[in-house]
Amino acid sequence: MEIARYDINKYSPRQMVVLPLVLLLLAGIVLGYTTLTTGLPLTPGIDFAGGTAVTAFTSDSRETIEATFAGYPLLSVGEGIGDGKYIQFGPMEDAQYRSLVELINERYPDAKIDQIGETFGKTLQGQAFLALSFSFIGMAVVVLIAFRNLVPAGAVVLSAFADIAITAGVMQVIGIPLSLGTTAALLMLIGYSVDSDILLTTRLLKRKGKLDEKLSGAFRTGIIMTTTTIAAIAAMWVVATAGQIQIISEIASVLLIGLFIDMMNTWMLNAGILKEYILRSGKK
Amino acid sequence: MNSETIINLVKDWRVALVLLLVIGSLIGIYLAPPSPEKGLEGNLQFGLDLQGGSWLQMEFQSVIVAYATDGSVGDLIENLQTSLEADVIQIDENHLEIRKTVSRAELEPLFAASDASIVTYQKGVSPFTADEVKRILSEKVNALGMQDARINLLTPTGSEYPQYVRIELAGVDMTTAQEIVGKQGLFEIRVQTTGNQTEHVLFGDQITSVGTPQRDFDGRWGVSFSLTDAGAQAFREAALSSGAVDNPNAHNLVMLLDNETVYSAPLDANLAAQLRSGPVRSLSASTGTGDSGLEDAMTLEIHLRAGALPVKVDIVGSGSVPAALGEQFKMTVVIAGLLALLTVGVVVYYRYREPAIVLPMLAINLAEIIILLGIARFIQQLDLAAIAGLIAVVGTGIDQLVIITDEVLHDGRVPSPNLYMKRYGRAFGIIAVAAATVFVAMLPLALMDLSTLRGFAIITILGVLIGVLVTRPAYGKIIMAILSK
Repeated sequence: MEIARYDINKYSPRQMVVLPLVLLLLAGIVLGYTTLTTGLPLTPGIDFAGGTAVTAFTSDSRETIEATFAGYPLLSVGEGIGDGKYIQFGPMEDAQYRSLVELINERYPDAKIDQIGETFGKTLQGQAFLALSFSFIGMAVVVLIAFRNLVPAGAVVLSAFADIAITAGVMQVIGIPLSLGTTAALLMLIGYSVDSDILLTTRLLKRKGKLDEKLSGAFRTGIIMTTTTIAAIAAMWVVATAGQIQIISEIASVLLIGLFIDMMNTWMLNAGILKEYILRSGKK
Repeated sequence: MNSETIINLVKDWRVALVLLLVIGSLIGIYLAPPSPEKGLEGNLQFGLDLQGGSWLQMEFQSVIVAYATDGSVGDLIENLQTSLEADVIQIDENHLEIRKTVSRAELEPLFAASDASIVTYQKGVSPFTADEVKRILSEKVNALGMQDARINLLTPTGSEYPQYVRIELAGVDMTTAQEIVGKQGLFEIRVQTTGNQTEHVLFGDQITSVGTPQRDFDGRWGVSFSLTDAGAQAFREAALSSGAVDNPNAHNLVMLLDNETVYSAPLDANLAAQLRSGPVRSLSASTGTGDSGLEDAMTLEIHLRAGALPVKVDIVGSGSVPAALGEQFKMTVVIAGLLALLTVGVVVYYRYREPAIVLPMLAINLAEIIILLGIARFIQQLDLAAIAGLIAVVGTGIDQLVIITDEVLHDGRVPSPNLYMKRYGRAFGIIAVAAATVFVAMLPLALMDLSTLRGFAIITILGVLIGVLVTRPAYGKIIMAILSK
């Protein structure tokens, strides 16, 4: 594995934190710009904006589908492996929706249809925002209690925050909308990201021995941890995407992006801050 | 490992507990009660997206207002009812339920006109009304012989009042689901003429409003309802011509819903007297005293509404999955799960290259999944999101086993039991903090009524708890026994 050959002790703390901080800044710009232009940090998916999502298995081409639904607020037609299609519509009037359902039932009788009203989507948005805030605050409290030391705990919280912010930034850039599924994935990321951060902090602060050795030991364990998680999630992503299970595919893609971002944040941002902290307190 | 170590291992309470729970879970899934016809699925409950069916999410068109007034509440209610043309009900000493979607700004002048003011304003209905809606919906669904229906009232986080009702019907397509929810029965009032003969008086469309069960001065429960002018006229004529006014006891008033008698009682003497002089629009049907009277009144209220809900509802979300697609999803997630377990196995093997470590790791992970499913069978239906949670748990689970293994195997040397326990303790410390964070991070999602991702959160939390409390300690024991051979 290439990553495992990265020598974590080769760089100074300052060098280590540069890349994550730059990315965090960029993510902040992307999310900030989106908030200014649309009022939300991420483009909302159907769950939050309202609309209709259809999963159908058909050999019809994208063009045929687009032609079929030309009279409706068609947003996108996604294609999976095999004949799976994921068709999204924007919010529409009740009568139009009913005629759409009829049309779908006629053309693709075995389709899965989900519809969310526009105002209800707004309510869901508010609830998701609440969930994210509560989760983040809860996580920060647990970490603070666990370490009872401001700098290491702060580093963990900062790197978890960077995980979410940068992942959200990447989502916005590559076009993964914010939905219930991706919100759940972001929440899960809070949990995942803290895993390796805590390993790192515990190893460095509570074990005896040379800093370099402890750091590379923690790094070895940490990388294998994240790799196993990535392996499980990747398997889930591949199968769910191929099988057109949209919600699992969404959760898995955000977790995958997040786990890679987390590797960077843990072993560069968090490790960098912690190393600087230990070096400084050692000199005293 | 010889048989003696295995016996000692099984005798250890941590390992024994895992074994017990795995066996218990398998019994729960397959044998209690036995379900051979379902094959591998056993008694697991699946969500709509895996078994096929439809769901409707409806929002109550109603608001709850806390008010303050120096005047009379009765007048306030009266005024609101006339100006809003909606039912207004007092749910406790300072809250009104206004059964119409109306904004606070629209309400304020109306309250001011009655010398009252709005203290708080929230969307939703009182728990009592919400329960009634739930009861009516269940009755409709049960009447059609559908057992696999779930009806849930949903209260958004931050609000005190139920604002939505979600109904899930397995094996039913969307059109049928909407029909079931919207369907109303045929309600009719007839009057007894001679003997058992009855005569038509009016149909349910002449009923303009139905009240909630209330007690009169004698302690008898009853339900009030109002008629249209035409209905009141028809009622008066029938009462006079049938002879019910002169001899109430021989001429019962009979109420029928879909041609089945749901209520039958004589005309009250007071009412008879009133009817002589003119039509009466507001009537009340009494059902008797005590709890049974109340219960009958509640049922009668539903019947009077002929299956219509007391509050208007708007469909704000809906969806359907054909059974065949659900079946296909089921296969897909099983493949996803197995593939995840397999890839994880390959990765840890690549790292340790030691079957004696990798096999217990995978076995513990599998045990965790079985226990998780065993518990989920009782508390949580498995939908697609819950399965995603399950696979995510496989990921975290292996993570933590890696922490334990690496911590214990420090420098590749096998430590003495003393040192082992110390290191294990440290590893466990890391795991416990990590588990606490996942728990806290997922908790909001698990508690929020509105998220369809409750399953995801609950499975993740359960997985983390089972891991920390049961399977990780057992793994620590097993790996020690293996390493010290």
